[in-house]
Amino acid sequence: MTLRQARGPRRSWSDVALNVWGVLVLLFLFAPIIVIVIYSFNTGRLLVAWNEFGFDGFLTLLEKPAIRDAVWVSIQTGAIAALVATVLGTLAGIAMARHPGRWVVWFIGLLLLVSVTPEIVDAVALLPWLVFLGQDLGIGLFNDGIVRLVVGHSLFSTAVVSYIVRARLVGLDAQLEEASADLYAKPFATFRRVTLPLAMPAVLAGFLLSFTLSLDNTVIAAFVQVSGTTPWPVYVLSALRSGLRPEIASVSTIMLVLTLLALGLVAFVLRRAGDSATQIARTMTGN
Amino acid sequence: MPSFALAIPAWAWLLVFFVAPVAMVVWFSFGYKPGIFGTHANDVLSFDRYLEALSPTFFTTFLNTLWIGLAGTALCLVIGLPVAYWMAVKAPPSKRGLLIALVMVPFWTNFLVRTIGWQVILAPEGWLSSLLQDLGLIAGPLDILYTRTAVLIGVVYNYLPLMILPLFVAFDRVGTPLREASKDLGADRWRTFARVTLPLARPGVIAGVLLVFIPLMGDYITATVLGGAKGNMVGQLVASQFQTAQNWALGSAMAVMLILVIMVTVAIGALVVWLVTLPFRIRNRLVIGAANGGAPAEAPAPARETQGVAS
Repeated sequence: MTLRQARGPRRSWSDVALNVWGVLVLLFLFAPIIVIVIYSFNTGRLLVAWNEFGFDGFLTLLEKPAIRDAVWVSIQTGAIAALVATVLGTLAGIAMARHPGRWVVWFIGLLLLVSVTPEIVDAVALLPWLVFLGQDLGIGLFNDGIVRLVVGHSLFSTAVVSYIVRARLVGLDAQLEEASADLYAKPFATFRRVTLPLAMPAVLAGFLLSFTLSLDNTVIAAFVQVSGTTPWPVYVLSALRSGLRPEIASVSTIMLVLTLLALGLVAFVLRRAGDSATQIARTMTGN
Repeated sequence: MPSFALAIPAWAWLLVFFVAPVAMVVWFSFGYKPGIFGTHANDVLSFDRYLEALSPTFFTTFLNTLWIGLAGTALCLVIGLPVAYWMAVKAPPSKRGLLIALVMVPFWTNFLVRTIGWQVILAPEGWLSSLLQDLGLIAGPLDILYTRTAVLIGVVYNYLPLMILPLFVAFDRVGTPLREASKDLGADRWRTFARVTLPLARPGVIAGVLLVFIPLMGDYITATVLGGAKGNMVGQLVASQFQTAQNWALGSAMAVMLILVIMVTVAIGALVVWLVTLPFRIRNRLVIGAANGGAPAEAPAPARETQGVAS
């Protein structure tokens, strides 16, 4: 890069075109988000038709318990699903990084399958399965709305956490753990005092990513939810059928801010652990 | 203790809540819907549901989905590739983190919400429509919403970050030294891009295309929000069989068909790309061979490219 700059400020037309294109595409990427944020201040009766600037949409949120409940369901589900995915994914990630063998190929194959299967297939598969477990086998746990959502939301997240934790530990060699074992630490002590702290940035990032993934999950949630525990995206989806009102944009804006806070935290955690911008990008896209 | 003991909980979880449900759907797909109130029955097994799923009514939707999938993926590649190149190569390194964050924010914004954003933009009574009418660019209200074009705009928008990010990582990994070497050896910008940067970024292109195409084919939200009756996709068919028609057998067969269509398309696509690039690869064998080999790529690659440039 320094070499290129040393050649002077000469800029060809292709560089200018790339700059313009890049900025245009970024504007394209932000267009609907900006629109939603602006329209959350629409005082009109319908979302699409702009009336005046005002806070009516946000005030309606305070009055309508249905939306508040939906957000609360999402936050509960997000926290529990993230916890489940983080515990399962961290253990699996550590096993893959520290105990490699032929089983890893199979396991990664399964994780890959989980991550590439279209969400709608997961969704329609889980619906009859949960009915089977809950009603045919009579396991009452699976009739609980939150449990069903947690199960559905944890699948993809488990795969994501496994990748992230494995990637981090593969990057750090096992000398510290060997040293710990040489110093007569029991395997569990080594795990708790050495391996886990080494993996911690990835574990935290994985937790936060799982939380946001769960917060945003719409398709699986729409199928496995039971009435009474509707998460907010499913509420929005049903509002789509009955006509969108500005408070839908308001709740979306609030959730957007929440997601951005979580993502900012992820970037902060990874930065402190010494990752470059590129590494953070890779972690956050799961590859 | 076996070496994979720590992975057993995750194994078990995914077996019970992913493998088993999907296997159950495959099983249902060979059954039938026994009556108005039943959802599925498996006492008589047949491939009839698959034939039903391919009947003209539904087959159009499969074709439509495939068209949107292929066109959407191609558009994402064409739009995203220059952006990723710009981010990784042309933009100042100090701004790189910011640019990644800017691509990441839409990616992590709720899928449904972003799509509703497009509904607001494209609506006939929305601001874009009135703006275009005021400028005299269109005569009547904007007539895009609830068409296949709207769905295409929506999917390109929704999956574009999934194309840009892996391409960015791949371009970033090629690194400045190789490009500098190529230029010092007399290749111009375009040649350097076509013969060095792009071939070495191939894994990113493949990752991006797969990351976009596969979920796009199974998309349910975009078509529901923007497509209306005219822009139907298979995801909606499957969903409606499970939710409204209560025909789990047919819905299952459609879901399995969807996965088969995705796999066959990816396989055909890979074959076509392999055949089309065959002459190119023979000519450029050493350079691309280095990219495939991974480890020994870095140092000898520029020297090999010299031969290509000189010849």
